[in-house]
Amino acid sequence: MVADADRVRRELEGIVGPRRVSVRPGDLDTYARDMWPRLLLARRAGVAPTMLPTAVVWPETVREVAAIVRMARNLGVPIIPYGGGSGVCGGVVPRFGGITIDTKRMAALRGIRTSDQVVDVEAGLSGERFERELTRRGYTFGNFPSSIYCSTVGGWLATRAAGQLSTKYGKVEDRVAGLTLVTGTGEVVDTDGPRRAIGGPDWTQLVLGSEGTLGIITSARLRLSPAPQLKLFRGFEVPNVAAGVEALRRVLQRGLKPAVVRLYDELDTFVNSFGDHHYDPDAAAWGHTHAPVPLPGEGALPPLPPPPRPTDDDGPLERLLGMVRKTRRGLRGDAFTAVLDRPRLVNRVVGTVAEKIARKGCKLIIGLEGARLRTEVEAALTFAELERAGARDLGEEPGRAWLARRYAVSYKMSPVFRDGAFVDTMEVATSWATLLDLYHSVRAALGKHAVVMAHFSHAYPEGCSIYFTFAAHAPDQAASERLYDQLWKDGLEAATRVGATISHHHGVGMLRAPYMAGEHREAMAILTALKRSFDPDDIMNPGKLGLAARRWEAR
Amino acid sequence: MTVALEAALAAVVGADHVRPIPGQPALAVTPGSPTELADVVRLTADAGAAIVPVGAGFRAARVRGLGERRRVHLSSERLDQVVQLDETSMLCHAQAGLTGAALEKILAPRGLSLGDYPPGILGSSLGGLIGVRTPGKSSARHGFFEEAVAGVSAVLADGRTIHTRVAPRRSTGPDLARALCGSEGTIGYITAAVLRLHRRPEARLLAAYVLPSVDAAIAAAFLALREECAPAGLRIVDATEARLHFPEAGLADGQALVVAATAGPTDLAACDRDLIASAVAAEGGAVADLGLAERWWRRRLGTEPTPEPGPTFQASAGPGQLTAAYHAVRRAVPAARLHVSRFDLDGAVLFATLVDASGDPLVGDALTATVARAEAAATAAGAWLLGARPTALDPYLKALRAELDPRGVMNPGALTEG
Repeated sequence: MVADADRVRRELEGIVGPRRVSVRPGDLDTYARDMWPRLLLARRAGVAPTMLPTAVVWPETVREVAAIVRMARNLGVPIIPYGGGSGVCGGVVPRFGGITIDTKRMAALRGIRTSDQVVDVEAGLSGERFERELTRRGYTFGNFPSSIYCSTVGGWLATRAAGQLSTKYGKVEDRVAGLTLVTGTGEVVDTDGPRRAIGGPDWTQLVLGSEGTLGIITSARLRLSPAPQLKLFRGFEVPNVAAGVEALRRVLQRGLKPAVVRLYDELDTFVNSFGDHHYDPDAAAWGHTHAPVPLPGEGALPPLPPPPRPTDDDGPLERLLGMVRKTRRGLRGDAFTAVLDRPRLVNRVVGTVAEKIARKGCKLIIGLEGARLRTEVEAALTFAELERAGARDLGEEPGRAWLARRYAVSYKMSPVFRDGAFVDTMEVATSWATLLDLYHSVRAALGKHAVVMAHFSHAYPEGCSIYFTFAAHAPDQAASERLYDQLWKDGLEAATRVGATISHHHGVGMLRAPYMAGEHREAMAILTALKRSFDPDDIMNPGKLGLAARRWEAR
Repeated sequence: MTVALEAALAAVVGADHVRPIPGQPALAVTPGSPTELADVVRLTADAGAAIVPVGAGFRAARVRGLGERRRVHLSSERLDQVVQLDETSMLCHAQAGLTGAALEKILAPRGLSLGDYPPGILGSSLGGLIGVRTPGKSSARHGFFEEAVAGVSAVLADGRTIHTRVAPRRSTGPDLARALCGSEGTIGYITAAVLRLHRRPEARLLAAYVLPSVDAAIAAAFLALREECAPAGLRIVDATEARLHFPEAGLADGQALVVAATAGPTDLAACDRDLIASAVAAEGGAVADLGLAERWWRRRLGTEPTPEPGPTFQASAGPGQLTAAYHAVRRAVPAARLHVSRFDLDGAVLFATLVDASGDPLVGDALTATVARAEAAATAAGAWLLGARPTALDPYLKALRAELDPRGVMNPGALTEG
């Protein structure tokens, strides 16, 4: 246990006053976790978290953050930065206790410099509010993760997040002109040399993705694009995954930059049932329609959809399970868990069924947006290239359906967590030359234990990421956790074996920490040296990113 | 220089590849493989000497502050192989001693290219292109040269070799390759890199315009860029420079010549050309003789000589500072010939050829004094000078170097203050 809690609270109160510090059990419990599914397993089982922060604090200025870090350094207490809590890797879990700094009260959009097309924004601003504010002023940052309603700008930067339109706008690390952070020594530094400055390493790129282990990002200067004048979304059909991958590669390598590319494998195509899920006017009622120009004041963001009803059977996974239920009459009783207990069978059955029913092949959603003239030209070239590669044009309908429901998926997750069942996603990436190898290897590794489907999104001229969704079941919490860990071990090791990266945009946290050595090998020496230079006392989010935390583990 | 180190290095790389540098406590060493290079680093470190990286050619290396410390000028020139060319992923794994130009020759028959970076920079070795950041190494279509780096291999001070893993993007901590990019050999000695390639453009279209002022030309350039135009080259030439370089344009005082190249699939190249034309029209400009642009392009490729040696001063500025920086330099050095190029959404680079009253390029003390005047003016207007760098993070760089290189072996004179 770290320095006594009362002392920590008093010191914090000395910095921010009594109202922005909490040691209440309810708060500590809340800040003990993020959306890491492994933690949800325990939560479902009614198990209280074992790793709790000592205190939670809500600073409002970078100066307060610096004072807190200096104080923590003096007392020898860890600091854990906390944004929206939407992470899925346990990055905010206070492994060794300490002070959780919630950044959400530092949420100002300080200003847009129109001449340079950049915005200065504080780290705690929610993604949704950020993008809405920009839309009002005729800009977009272009990052639309499905977590946008519950994640912060700082969280995006700390993890190198990606959004649904990343193929055009880039991942967040491609959009940063500079950062302000408080390092582990309590010093405030700007990595805000202009990008054209010159000499020395690019510190911005060395801080992005550090997940709070080098310091805490308090604000950033981010690049903007003009709000799109035109959006063109289209569905295509390809005979199989390999043909789809080849079609995407040809588009990207011709120098074309669609905003959205999503190629669903046979199962994912079937489960998402684009064919029979027509554009729903009710969905339009919650705000978003396909539109040649952004809706006034809405931009790319629909208002938050209502929370799902627990009985809602509309999510892809529920549909996946329903489909399996229908085709395997033998699986009566609690079909939900019964299905998940027999993943190999299901994967095989689903393969056959998908083949039979989805003879049509794989769906491909492609969308372009941006300046009117260039978008029109790029869209024509893109659609023509896809057809040349053998893709069949399905018109705008599938694109609209995807657009209307694209934020809904995330909210379907937690109802699946029942009776020891769980679902998670694994996003890996590699070059085009090894992409199919990666797809088959990871799918086989996960398929031993779980029902698995995948889509390809976030494409680049040199490669692409694959987003696996897998569901599994075990009889009790302990068994679920063992199965969960085994799945990740098998999946990530399969990815490493083919030379892929183990994470495209979710980050490392606790989940991937054990696999960082395999990812970076000898280059971990540089990460370790960075850590020591920015945080000599190892107080910043210790025990994350695969960095040793000897100081704390010895206790 | 101790004979012992020379002998030890010769045993590793062969006697032909170790050579004392006359008048200096230094050896020039050219290892033939990354393994040899790692051994050289290890032996040099153990002998208490320093490593000074040397790229293509044997430029005056940066040995500032080294005094009489023994050093090894370590050249990558024999590491000049393409290790792997992955045409499916358009990635090229090449050794650091290969020059950009030599790599282009290998790529061209395959319809591939590094991209439309200024041809002038490609004479450098890949190690130098990646290891040293300068504002000119950029392209509006592909970004900064270091953004082409998908992975690097490097030897650290203790002789360990690291290879950063190649992936299109990743979320597994900071981008460790970026610790080496721009580090000028202080973090590690780059031995190879995996670079992103591009298809050779299906079409390239040239165009020239005359605008009423440099201000209007700059405004037009950013107007087009904001409409997502991504030119393969764009240059604004002011009247002073145009009079010598493009006399046939007949520019009046204050006017500006804009030459532009767009490239890519034909429709896209035409679209980008039209975007520039519209932006120029919106700023009151008019189409000029295409021959001007063709001449600019030939000079850019080096197939036609330029009327005078290259610029002697450069400064970069963001879109918001560029006009002011141009006028500040214009006022400070009235005789200078100026152009602005390397445009992207982050800004552009202002180049000046500093000349005397009769129009001859300045040299010696006169040049030094004039450069100082131009620098002061540019800095005051918010521009950044070549070689400038933000120093706020120097203590962290120092700590990082101390961690990786406690004996101060790796290019100790570089990236330090004073």
